[in-house]
Amino acid sequence: MIRKMIRQGLKNNIAVCAASILILLMLFQALAPAVTTISAPEEYTIYKYGWFDEVVFFRVTEAAKAVEMMEKGDMDIYFKDIGDPALFRRVRESPALSYDFSYGLYNELTFNPVGPTTLDGKFNPFYNPKIREAMNMLVDRQYIVDEIMGGLAIPKFVPVCNGFPDYKRHESVIKSIEANYAYNFDKAKQIIFEELAKEPDVEYKDGKWLYKGEPIVLKFIIRTEDTRRQIGDYVSTQLEKLGFTVDRQYKTSREASPIWMRGNPAEGRWHLYTGGWVTTVVSRDDSDNFQFFYSDKSGMASISPLWASYKPSPEFSELADKLAEKKFTTIEERTAWMSRAFELALKDSVRVWLVDQTAAWVKRKEINAVADYSGGYWVGIWAFTLNRGGTRGGSVKIGSSDVLTGDAWNPISGSNWIYDGMVSSATGMPAFLSDPKSGLPIPTGFVKSVTIEAVKGLLTFQNPESQNWLTLTFVDSVTIPSDAWYAWDVENKKVVTAGEAGVTSAKVKIVAEYEDIIGKIEYHDGTVMSLADWVWSWPINFERASDKSPLYDEAYVGSFQSWREVFKAWRIVSEHPLKIEWYTDYTNMDAELIASAYVGLAGPWHTTAIGVKAEEKGVLAFGQDKAMKKNVEWMNYIAGPSLEILSTTLDEAIAEGYIPFKELNSRYITVEEARARYNALKKWYTTYKHFWVGAGPYYLEVADVMAKTAVLKPFRKLLQRELVISVEGGGTTDPEPGTHEYLGRETVTITAKPGFLSILEKWVVDGVEKEASASITVTTDKPHTVRAVFRIWYEAIAGIVAVIVVIVIVAVLFLRKKKK
Amino acid sequence: MIPKGFLKFVVKRTVLLLISLVVAVYISILLANFGGLIDEMVKSDLLMSITMNVRNNPAFQGLTASEKQKIIDSMYQAALEARGLNTPFLIRSLYHLKNALTLDLGTALYLTSDSGSKQVRLIILERLPQTIMLFTSVTIINFFTTLLGGLLIARKYGSKIDRAISALAPTSVIPGWVYGIFLILIFYTWLHILPPGGMVDYPPPKDPVLYSLSVLKHMVLPMLSWIIAGLFLGLYSNRTFFLIFSTEDYVEVAKAKGLPPRQVDMGYVMRPTLPSIITGLSFAIIGSWGGAIITETVFDWPGLGMLLASALSYPDPPVIVGEVAIYAWLLTLTVLTLDIIYAFLDPRVKVWGG
Repeated sequence: MIRKMIRQGLKNNIAVCAASILILLMLFQALAPAVTTISAPEEYTIYKYGWFDEVVFFRVTEAAKAVEMMEKGDMDIYFKDIGDPALFRRVRESPALSYDFSYGLYNELTFNPVGPTTLDGKFNPFYNPKIREAMNMLVDRQYIVDEIMGGLAIPKFVPVCNGFPDYKRHESVIKSIEANYAYNFDKAKQIIFEELAKEPDVEYKDGKWLYKGEPIVLKFIIRTEDTRRQIGDYVSTQLEKLGFTVDRQYKTSREASPIWMRGNPAEGRWHLYTGGWVTTVVSRDDSDNFQFFYSDKSGMASISPLWASYKPSPEFSELADKLAEKKFTTIEERTAWMSRAFELALKDSVRVWLVDQTAAWVKRKEINAVADYSGGYWVGIWAFTLNRGGTRGGSVKIGSSDVLTGDAWNPISGSNWIYDGMVSSATGMPAFLSDPKSGLPIPTGFVKSVTIEAVKGLLTFQNPESQNWLTLTFVDSVTIPSDAWYAWDVENKKVVTAGEAGVTSAKVKIVAEYEDIIGKIEYHDGTVMSLADWVWSWPINFERASDKSPLYDEAYVGSFQSWREVFKAWRIVSEHPLKIEWYTDYTNMDAELIASAYVGLAGPWHTTAIGVKAEEKGVLAFGQDKAMKKNVEWMNYIAGPSLEILSTTLDEAIAEGYIPFKELNSRYITVEEARARYNALKKWYTTYKHFWVGAGPYYLEVADVMAKTAVLKPFRKLLQRELVISVEGGGTTDPEPGTHEYLGRETVTITAKPGFLSILEKWVVDGVEKEASASITVTTDKPHTVRAVFRIWYEAIAGIVAVIVVIVIVAVLFLRKKKK
Repeated sequence: MIPKGFLKFVVKRTVLLLISLVVAVYISILLANFGGLIDEMVKSDLLMSITMNVRNNPAFQGLTASEKQKIIDSMYQAALEARGLNTPFLIRSLYHLKNALTLDLGTALYLTSDSGSKQVRLIILERLPQTIMLFTSVTIINFFTTLLGGLLIARKYGSKIDRAISALAPTSVIPGWVYGIFLILIFYTWLHILPPGGMVDYPPPKDPVLYSLSVLKHMVLPMLSWIIAGLFLGLYSNRTFFLIFSTEDYVEVAKAKGLPPRQVDMGYVMRPTLPSIITGLSFAIIGSWGGAIITETVFDWPGLGMLLASALSYPDPPVIVGEVAIYAWLLTLTVLTLDIIYAFLDPRVKVWGG
């Protein structure tokens, strides 16, 4: 995804000159001072059924054009960050626009650590860690921030992002490092000169550093797609001031990566490179960054000769490994290790970190949007929070640099482009959202509580934010019940229980108590969640990882194995309300993230089932790599040739009464229920021409892949049901007669309130007469009409008359008797 | 009966053209793959992409580094195998050649069609209608406008309009997309009456007629930009072309005979130039099928130009080769057809004895 995002930027290179002219022509405003202000966290309100009546996504590749459109009111919000300082100044001064910031893009200098000489016999000064360390002081990061990034950046010294949890946890150490390595050209020069003076055959002559009489040439690969070009020029100038000869090699990503990443650094084809990295989520645990960025033990080393050439000090190497494997046992130990690792990272400096970029996200002022600290506007929470002035209804137009990329949408292994995800995420209902600032899970209202039992000694903690839904306790041991499901036997098509597998213990037990959601939550196509939605897919993971299954996908095996190593078993404890237990060895420093890793909401089984059937037939494949290998279409639920194949498969499923993995699921799904689900999907497909069904705040109404536009409509429009209550005769009801609107399936009790001398004669529900009873219950599964028919209570009147007559007679008789 | 010499000519031309086709396609395969160097780029891309995906995936955040690495390795190997990158480039290049020549264009490395297919054939075919709709229309409009305009101006040699066209001809060195930017500034930024780009209104109209009208509205500015860009040079070229022909002896004789100017134009100027005009039109139409990278980018028009730009930036050699192969086939067939037509019709082309 990240690579694709970067690539998207590169893809538009051709337009750069066009865009530049456009920007220049459009930017008449005077330049304003640079900014570094970070906006304060804003309040936001989560609404689960779609704030807007219509959400329109469309593609606008050029940020300048997007800003123009937002000013004119043709676009409300741009789901892409703006990195151009000049354009940002225009945004800042526009009375119609407002903005937020996100973080997660960062730049560094990557050094070739091989030396002192490379295979071509040339001298590489960056083999020396002290020279690399001194480079930290040679570069004025504040200059880069102010003069190159136009204020849209923060100086960076360590391999964690400013503001991320691990930065905050170790802020005092990092601040001290920032002070120690602050820009100091003279000190850097002194260290570098001292170190070079120690080298044989190296001399400083006439202001130039020479090796064996020849100038020391530093081959500097400078990326050209963004501000790294200017950064590269600035660093080159600093190095030239020291007496080095710099060969500035301007290259694009595709030209540079075979040299710096895949090439052998010993060949000496480069000495420095302007690196750039992205993180799209607020990372709460960056303890593996030291191994990843600095060590020959990094996973990158198996494929990249550069990483293989890293030689961190034994202390740093050991520390990086221990942190990466999370071998700390207390938070104090972790803090101590991390603090030391930060210091050693600066001593090693195969990377010199330069800046954390601040990306600006722009919208019209009247739009309320939540900017994720790392991901900006386009992360999943937008669908629950984006609104106009806090009111429901209306339309919002969202631009982005791409929409509907063309990668397939499917529920198993579809597109991982953020440009697709920003649309598709609005159609699914998660159990948790990610807090935009802290990255911690926020329940969406379907999970009542989660209890985690962790074995004593496990390094996990609960944050104060989760007190209202999470309970963490530590226990001596976690025992797995023998009836919990451990695996799926692909060959014999049966569930393997923990008892059968001999799996008895785990490190963590997670118990989720849901609201009473079975039979209540509806999917977009009108079908209702059943227990089958929770259990049916259990075999899929195992089938996809087994070469004995038609669903086997080689690309999935690694993920499966990692999951299998930690996941032990699970079981459903009760259906009403739903209660599920998971047993696992997975751990995380934040207990909330252990919960959110397992506690979810089930999607509709029948939509995925037709995909399973299609893949079993070998006509489509969920995974891209498998599709390429098998020369079939990558299964796409929203467009393309897949639709016809899926439609045919759906018809077959209806005809057969297909139940996926029937050995398991025929216990939970009847043929009639299956057909009813498939028919609902068929109706959906006939209406909307796609198979993308969820339970999220919005449903996909239009996916115009050619015009690069998608239209979403709020789920509440499908869920809104009218209950029309009327009365006949003397009386009323509670709720009162009239039209009442309900969202989704609610159980409404209507009580008859007969008027004086009236009585309820009958109820008429949807034209069908029902017996008279004091109250009647209606489930708002569709629009209903209820009529309460009252009639005069003749019996009572007769009784009253009779009583009166009797009283009169008695009175008359009494009076007569008295007269006598 | 077809003369033997003619058949021999056709066979010879066909063989020569096919050899050119094979050579051109193979060279394009080598170039598109940087002689195999692209493999390293693709591998780097895949590795970095998979690594960052795994590192940024919230589902994997709690895993240790070695656990994450297992996932990365597995996904990387599967990705290499799926793309055939574990087979040497030289062998794959021959497969590519065979596929390209048989127009079995295979699957793309990265790109997908807008509707989600990885079949190169579908990726290209999906973009072709938009390109034809925009650029072939413009090409035909430009061709006939400048052809007829050139003929009229040739008649008025030395007039004010002739001098004006001659003076304005150099403006055609400015590419269409530059005019496009100015048109956006005028009709969107200033007047706000036409869209700045895209293919259809947002949200797209549901009624097919309104949808078509919306597409036409979005075609106005890109078409106008190309028409303006090509107009003056086209008029000037055709005017010069016709001027040369209109001074031929047989035209002078026709004029001297007192034939009406229209008859002179049609019968004595246009007719002998028809082969050149047909050739020009044929190549212009084929050329238009390539789209226009920058214009499509400026107007966000989903045509073959943007596809080629994407294919080049990824890079995605199968798509590049696919576009080249289709173009090469069209060119070959057009040249062959024109050769045959000229050989058969044009008395000045003599391919058999006598």
